Amino acid sequence: MTTGRTITIPHLGRVEGHGGIYVKISGNTVQDVNMDIHEGSRYYEALLKGKHFLEVQGIITRVCAICSSSHTVAALTALEKALDVEVTERVRQLRGLLLLGGTIESHALHVFALALPDFLGFDSVISMASKYPDQVAFALKLKQLGNAIQTLVGGRAVHPINTLVGGFGKLPSHEELSKIRRDLEASLEPLMDFVDLAATIEVPTWAAQPTLYVALRPYEEAFRFRGISICTSEGDEFDLDGYQETIKEFTVEHSHAKHSALASGETYMVGSMARLRLWNQYLGGQTKKAFDTLFPEGVKDNILMNNWAQLVELVHCVERGIEICDLLLAQPEGASEMVDYEVSAGRGIGAIEVPRGTLFHDYEIDDEGLVVAANVITPTAQNLANTERDLRMAVETMVAATPVPSDDQIKLQLEMVARAYDPCISCSVHVIRED
Amino acid sequence: MTDTSKPQVGIFGLTGCAGDQLQILNCEDQLLWLASQVDIVDWVMAKSDNDHDCPLHIAFVEGVVATERDLETIKSVRERSTFLVAIGTCAVWGGLPAMQNEIPRDRLLEAVYHEKATFLDTIEARPVTHFVEVDYLLPGCPIERHEFLALVRALLAGTTAELPQFPVCWECKGKENLCRVVHFGEVCCGSMTRSGCGARCPSHGVACSGCRGPLEEPNYDANITMFADRGISWKEVGQKMANFSAPVWMTKGLEQEVNDDNR
Repeated sequence: MTTGRTITIPHLGRVEGHGGIYVKISGNTVQDVNMDIHEGSRYYEALLKGKHFLEVQGIITRVCAICSSSHTVAALTALEKALDVEVTERVRQLRGLLLLGGTIESHALHVFALALPDFLGFDSVISMASKYPDQVAFALKLKQLGNAIQTLVGGRAVHPINTLVGGFGKLPSHEELSKIRRDLEASLEPLMDFVDLAATIEVPTWAAQPTLYVALRPYEEAFRFRGISICTSEGDEFDLDGYQETIKEFTVEHSHAKHSALASGETYMVGSMARLRLWNQYLGGQTKKAFDTLFPEGVKDNILMNNWAQLVELVHCVERGIEICDLLLAQPEGASEMVDYEVSAGRGIGAIEVPRGTLFHDYEIDDEGLVVAANVITPTAQNLANTERDLRMAVETMVAATPVPSDDQIKLQLEMVARAYDPCISCSVHVIRED
Repeated sequence: MTDTSKPQVGIFGLTGCAGDQLQILNCEDQLLWLASQVDIVDWVMAKSDNDHDCPLHIAFVEGVVATERDLETIKSVRERSTFLVAIGTCAVWGGLPAMQNEIPRDRLLEAVYHEKATFLDTIEARPVTHFVEVDYLLPGCPIERHEFLALVRALLAGTTAELPQFPVCWECKGKENLCRVVHFGEVCCGSMTRSGCGARCPSHGVACSGCRGPLEEPNYDANITMFADRGISWKEVGQKMANFSAPVWMTKGLEQEVNDDNR
């Protein structure tokens, strides 16, 4: 029997940003399980305060590259609420397409390049290519399509520049949209093949435990990433405007990122699995088929299934992307699309479902259009407390097993749990807040 | 790189958005080629089996130094590598995180975390170039994929790629865009910013934000006149340029004017 055993993963690999895991075990008792977040603080609130609102998107998108389209749409939504700007339907559709492009890129990167190597026994997607060349080629192509969508709508794949308060500097041509539509259509079948491949992989259950899920209620009766209220899997529903009363943030010593819990003190999970748990009744087409294949008994508690939830959402993004392309192609071409507005003081909150869960942006601006206060709560920060809880469960399960697994086995399993949340550590340590 | 075996490469991120590493991953069509040409031995963002100690022929580093841990990392990477490339505007110029270095960290801390979070490891954000000797600067927020690939090909051939040394205006004119300053009276940073982006922003009807950092010798006199003629103060221009390259920009003749205006 070992007494006093510590397991340290100094650099968590295949995640975005800098984090590690620290575990301390005494005998059979698991003492500490910490997800250490040591990404440096960039103090974005200090950078934004006093800036003109027109500069906000270009600054705040740089919190995180993988999530730059998400931050862009959330920021514009919040700023337009603050300024009372009503954008056109076409602008809404294009932003929807931008979010889908961002989600395709992010999910494809995570599911295929960051998570799947664990399940198939490789150290990276590059080494995976030796045995699965066709699958890796398709995965990279799908990721590329997500980038192509972001480039077409946002002006580039990382940190969009075409996205303005009130609309877009330049609209995509019908020819460009038709190409995206064709590429989306062509990716549906190989994606469904991936669903079938995933269904054959056994997903371990050592981290499974009852979990509270939180996601936004979609703005219409359909599976959508833009929402109107905060809902939990226990049936509670909260106003967006009161998000700071619903979600309580607190600091912990081993993390540069704040942790979150609901006002009740319960930790929770946001992200693909939460969205599917709450809104799977709205799925249709091939997405429904993918869901039924991978979740035959519905969404059961097991964080490792979040990878497959992202796979289901990839199918949704492709199908919904085709729909939005059709809506855009039915309208006449245009050079740009902007609405006029007057600058006045106000506060606006934008909440959006992004690849890793619910993202909140909140800005207050003065009469001259300068930022007085800013607050951003990211999905990864909300998931951190729950991640530690699941890591603890994984360690406890392993310590109770006979024979007790080696340090390397424990490390791999902990990394798989952390990676399943698809943590975006840059996002979680942006730390913006000024009340 | 006279070695007959593949060159050993490390890719590192300090504090930042990981956008430059993502741009490398975004070279989807060339990623497997890249893996066949070099041996990527240390890349935490993309692999789990990494060697953190071996010598490196080429190291790519993105991000700013904003923690003591970052400082240790950049020093050890410098020591390990023959050829060190700073990738992205943060590593080259300081980028957005270096925008407010004059505010003491403890004041920022309190504003952001609402308490005396003394456990945080935080120092003024500075570019990699401030701490170690860098062999090549590849700016951009994020970097341009074609410039990264051109550099890799050049390094494999034993040379380096030449970056354009002219302003964004050069490429903007080639695209036949209407000038954001002359025609729209906007604060556009193009005339003082390094090209290489294909004048992406003005081509979308948006003024240049200066994200690639300043030219070595912009024509200050002509710029001051051009903006002043349209009622745009040098302070406005300087503050916009300083968003991405404060540590360099604010010492190149602007700091005084911005401070005078603020007084």
